[in-house]
Amino acid sequence: MNDATERWSDNQVALVDLIDRVIGGGVVLTGDVVLGVAGVDLVYLGLRLVIAPAHEIEPSIALGRRSA
Amino acid sequence: MLLYAVVPVDATAPEMHGLAGTQLEIIRGKLAAVIVEESSERVSATSDESRAFAEIICDLATTTSMLPIRFPTMLPTRSAVLAELQANEAAWRGRLTELDGLSEVVIRAQGPEADPELDSASGSSGTTYLMNRAAVIHRREASVAEISELVRPWARDVKVLHSQQGVRIACLVPDADVPQLTAAVSTWQQAGNDRQAVVSGPWPVFSFAIDQRAGSR
Repeated sequence: MNDATERWSDNQVALVDLIDRVIGGGVVLTGDVVLGVAGVDLVYLGLRLVIAPAHEIEPSIALGRRSA
Repeated sequence: MLLYAVVPVDATAPEMHGLAGTQLEIIRGKLAAVIVEESSERVSATSDESRAFAEIICDLATTTSMLPIRFPTMLPTRSAVLAELQANEAAWRGRLTELDGLSEVVIRAQGPEADPELDSASGSSGTTYLMNRAAVIHRREASVAEISELVRPWARDVKVLHSQQGVRIACLVPDADVPQLTAAVSTWQQAGNDRQAVVSGPWPVFSFAIDQRAGSR
């Protein structure tokens, strides 16, 4: 492992992996969003909500760059 | 409502509190149920809250088979939860059956990485840099293939996870086989001077809750 990883105990690695899986894995639900102004519903959106680490949605984010 | 997990329809209501400090509830459909917590406050996925949620999920997993729900998922009302149940419970019940008795373990492994001098952008040509990066990718692919083969006797499924260093592979393993898989990884590590590996888990089946091969949802 590299120096950064060597400083981590196995328990810390496990914790990082666990948190990563909690927010990156699991069942994904659908959802609805209603956009409104001043209490008046204006736009209804039926969505598939996908909450995931940014690097899983856009790999270039993990590489520290964004597409033009 | 904050959603925690999909569980069998006949699962016992959990005797524990959630992130908001409220007693967890179980909302039952006809084929499956969902464990929820009444909470009107918006939950953010901070490290502390994610960790606390993970601990609750792991505690719940000791009492029932389950499909963890991605954190933080909230629905506004009980009827919204019931609507999700009605829309998905047949698929969820099937997946619960498929995953009963299985857990997830994650293997982090790393062999020799790129030459640090070559890996540096400064002092080397673009061609050298690109060749070095290609070599790293080839080594990662070889490591994935090697570890996948190593765990094949016990793993029902594997999923390669994002990793900035080395490789990270989630394995779906029968509960009873987790010790053998862990021992095999340890033996693999000791057999090579430049091999490093860490096995974490067993955990609930976060990476396999959705059968992606079936294209569910």
